[in-house]
Amino acid sequence: MTIVIEASGKRNKLRKRLADLNSPLIILLTLIASAGVLALYSVSDGSWTPYAMPHAIRFGLAMVVMIGIGVTPLKFWLSLAYPGYFFALFLLLLVPVIGATNMGAQRWLELGGFQLQPSELMKVALVLALARYYHGLEFKQVSSITGLIPPLAMIGAPVGLVFLQPDLGTAILMGLSGVTVLLLAGISWRLVTLGVIAGVGGAIAGVQSGLIKAYQWERITAFLNPDADPLGANYHPNQSKIAIGSGGVDGKGYMQGTQSQLDFLPEMQTDFIFTIIGEELGLYGAIGLLGLYLAVFFTTLQIAMSAKSHFGRLLAFGIAVTFVSYVLINTGMVMGLAPVVGVPLPLVSYGGTVMLSMMAGFGLVMSAWIDRSQDTLRTSGFGS
Amino acid sequence: MRVEPFDTQRHMEFTRRATFVAGGVSCLFVGVGYRLWDLQVARHDEFRAQADENQFNTRLIAPLRGDIYDRYGNVVANNVPDFRVLVIPERTDNLRDTLVRLAAVMPLEAEQIDRILNKAKRQRSFLPILVKDKLDWETYASVNFHSTEMRGVVSEIGASRAYAEDAGAAFVVGYVGSATADDITRKREAADTDEAAEKAELLYRQPGYKVGKSGLERTLDDRLQGDPGSVRVQVNAHGRVIETYKDNAQPPSQGTAIGLTIDKDLQAKTLEVLASNYGEYPDEALGPHPLSASAVVLDIITGDVIVMASTPAFDPNVFSRGIETKLWRELNESPLKPLLNKPVQGTYPPGSTFKLLTAIAAQEQGIDPSTTVYCNGTYRFGGRDFTCWKKEGHGRLDMEGSIKHSCDVYYWHLATQLGIDQIAEVAQRYGLGQTYDLGIGAEAEGIVPSQAWKRAYYRNDPPNQTWFPGETLSVAIGQGAVTASPLQLAVMSARIATHKAVTPRLVRAIGGSLVPEPLFEELPGDPQNVKVVQDGMNAVVNEWGTAARSSLLPDFKMAGKTGTSQVVGLRRDPVTGRRLKNEEIPWQFRDHALFVAFAPYENPRYACSVVVEHGGSGSKAAGPRARDIMRAVLEKDPSNYDKHQFWKGQQDLTEVAMLGGAR
Repeated sequence: MTIVIEASGKRNKLRKRLADLNSPLIILLTLIASAGVLALYSVSDGSWTPYAMPHAIRFGLAMVVMIGIGVTPLKFWLSLAYPGYFFALFLLLLVPVIGATNMGAQRWLELGGFQLQPSELMKVALVLALARYYHGLEFKQVSSITGLIPPLAMIGAPVGLVFLQPDLGTAILMGLSGVTVLLLAGISWRLVTLGVIAGVGGAIAGVQSGLIKAYQWERITAFLNPDADPLGANYHPNQSKIAIGSGGVDGKGYMQGTQSQLDFLPEMQTDFIFTIIGEELGLYGAIGLLGLYLAVFFTTLQIAMSAKSHFGRLLAFGIAVTFVSYVLINTGMVMGLAPVVGVPLPLVSYGGTVMLSMMAGFGLVMSAWIDRSQDTLRTSGFGS
Repeated sequence: MRVEPFDTQRHMEFTRRATFVAGGVSCLFVGVGYRLWDLQVARHDEFRAQADENQFNTRLIAPLRGDIYDRYGNVVANNVPDFRVLVIPERTDNLRDTLVRLAAVMPLEAEQIDRILNKAKRQRSFLPILVKDKLDWETYASVNFHSTEMRGVVSEIGASRAYAEDAGAAFVVGYVGSATADDITRKREAADTDEAAEKAELLYRQPGYKVGKSGLERTLDDRLQGDPGSVRVQVNAHGRVIETYKDNAQPPSQGTAIGLTIDKDLQAKTLEVLASNYGEYPDEALGPHPLSASAVVLDIITGDVIVMASTPAFDPNVFSRGIETKLWRELNESPLKPLLNKPVQGTYPPGSTFKLLTAIAAQEQGIDPSTTVYCNGTYRFGGRDFTCWKKEGHGRLDMEGSIKHSCDVYYWHLATQLGIDQIAEVAQRYGLGQTYDLGIGAEAEGIVPSQAWKRAYYRNDPPNQTWFPGETLSVAIGQGAVTASPLQLAVMSARIATHKAVTPRLVRAIGGSLVPEPLFEELPGDPQNVKVVQDGMNAVVNEWGTAARSSLLPDFKMAGKTGTSQVVGLRRDPVTGRRLKNEEIPWQFRDHALFVAFAPYENPRYACSVVVEHGGSGSKAAGPRARDIMRAVLEKDPSNYDKHQFWKGQQDLTEVAMLGGAR
């Protein structure tokens, strides 16, 4: 009997949590993913295959995952933070050992028939772990050496591993969101300044010592001089600028983009998808999409602000920052403001792993939203 | 596990920091938005233009070269479809890889790949390079099929120059080839504006575009080339044309058609005659001998070169295609000099044909043609005996008889009464020692010796060279320093026949309209002097003279003169001292055989010259060939068309000729 009551109690609880989902966030994410479907449909000359339909299906599945994570109590994720982080780190360490090499970089693990990119898992796991860490740290400890070493190590280890794969874009993204969580946790400004100086120094040392490979450096600096090497490093950003610029205010019309449809931008279903929106839908379309992203950011910010637990706050905002980092780096990249480092436009670019990791992240945000009123969290084991 | 108490301090700090980060993110979004505005509004026009530049392309459409016809409108040179494959280096992922892949679907050797790679280094990467042309349809179709997988490979159908193989007009028409750097520079310099120069260069650099390299193809290149057209096309990133905007296309206009004075059929007939064995060496023990000969036939009213034949000849198509080194070397090193246009570039001592001019010069110096000279076979001059070709002697001869029998003694006799400069002046007047600017490249001037010539020739080394009277004796019979080309000899014959300053021409019509026929002026001098020579030439052929076997009687009355000119001096057997016959010495030392003629005798219309190198004797090797050539020419003459069925089965030539204004 007790089991039945408990089960029905659980059902009620689940129903209540489902009702409590943040619908604006769901709507915004769906709108963004729809823009992706629209763009991918145009990329393949008005065809659902090979990109648009899989994209839509993946988003549907990712949405289920997001809701699943969202309805799971936040304290469960708190308890899973460290194990999750170490599991992700373990997988990252496995990559160089048993990973698959693709286009000169080892990023993938073949696990029983499906591919896993541990760095994507780590992006979420890192934010989660850092939020967990600061959740349990007294404020006065934040800027102390003892308080600073663990999080820096937590950031440094995966960033270093990903950088060596080599996957510069993901390393930058990961480092950026990690450091942002540190900033949000309240480390002193003096340390922030020191950190910036150390970062710049480290980058210079990296180049000098050859740790950053020549082709990476070329790609990093190419955007500063768009007229050089127009058929090499600058081909994509230049053609993409032409596409967006020629789109004008109104755009050339859906599926009418000459740059996109005439193959001047190959492989645009991935990192350069923003181009087709700018070219075909013009300033209106591009600003509209950016507006959606900004709306997601502020909705998540609002969720973070409303969370009573420090874990929930840092987690939600950390995910939000990771998300907009993608957007800013990607759009900067396609418009010649940032180096081409292989960062996709989340939920719009074709590719399942990033979509899944971002939606999983928003699942955590959702969980933080539903459990926003819990001011203290009891970490619980798997069974409790 | 420890439970953290709610911490107001860190919450407040978080709120501040979050606000800060949100502000920063907002600023970055504004930055991205500003960049969008910058690209899509402020610099929209610039990028719009660049996108247009990407997708739209003005393509020059190469014009077809003007066709070249013979005098009856038969094609001598035209354009035929050409299947070819090009590569645009800029659009390939890797030029070498692409070529290697291409080699799998079409014949392409490593050597050719290297050549293309070299060329790619030297020119702008967006310019296409010809990989191979003149492909057969199967290969072309296969490349076409596979080229979709190979970025930068373009297959197209162009036009290439083709020459009628039976026209034998290689030397007249010349051939075309790809433009060299020099051709491009020259064309650029000739352009009025920078734009025109740029356009010309683009055109010249188009793969498969050909320019005239020799002959009339070169001389009349500007007219033959035509004007390129242009069309606006939309292309994709691989250079594939997506759409062609035909509305505002400017079609190319084909180059001007050129009508030659040449008669293709007569040219072919002449080549056949020249290359046939006329049994010039009946005692030949060494087997067949080589034949290197040339012939020119002129219409003496218009100056039209009806026939200009040289054998052995080559096929200009191999030059248009791009000749292989091996074949080139073969042609270049042959002792028969197939690359030499003998009618205008070959010079030969005119031999006895020159006696006609000596005879005119003598009359002009007051020597009566009826005065007779006795030939006993030798002539003593300067303490030396000169032997007539007929060593038993001709007996008593007047001037007409001297021509008929080609008596040397008679002319030696005249030579002692003439100055060399007087002979030289007549020779010049009758067409020797000059060029006619036919537009087919280097014409040999030949040599008409005179006192001034000798001074200039030796350039005072040894000093103060003077003309020796003995030398005049040689020149009087067409030996010694005097040389002439077959064309000059034909002109000489035409001028003797008409007593007019006949000048040859090769172009009869340009762009469908006839070049006005020239009116030749009367030559200075008494026509009566020439009459004696004409009569002598008639006697040579028709009254049992030296060329009796060349008579066309009873059909036509042809007048002519034989010539046999020595290549080496005395040819005696080293043991017996006997004079050796032509067939007893190696081919290249034998005498040249010459013949000049005009016909019909009473009302001359055609003049002709035939030179058979090392042919032995004019009467055996050159005369009969001239006879057969002239028979064909006369039978084809519109006025004789009804009488002779030789050309039956062709078009109504009379009508064509009338339309063309030949008669």
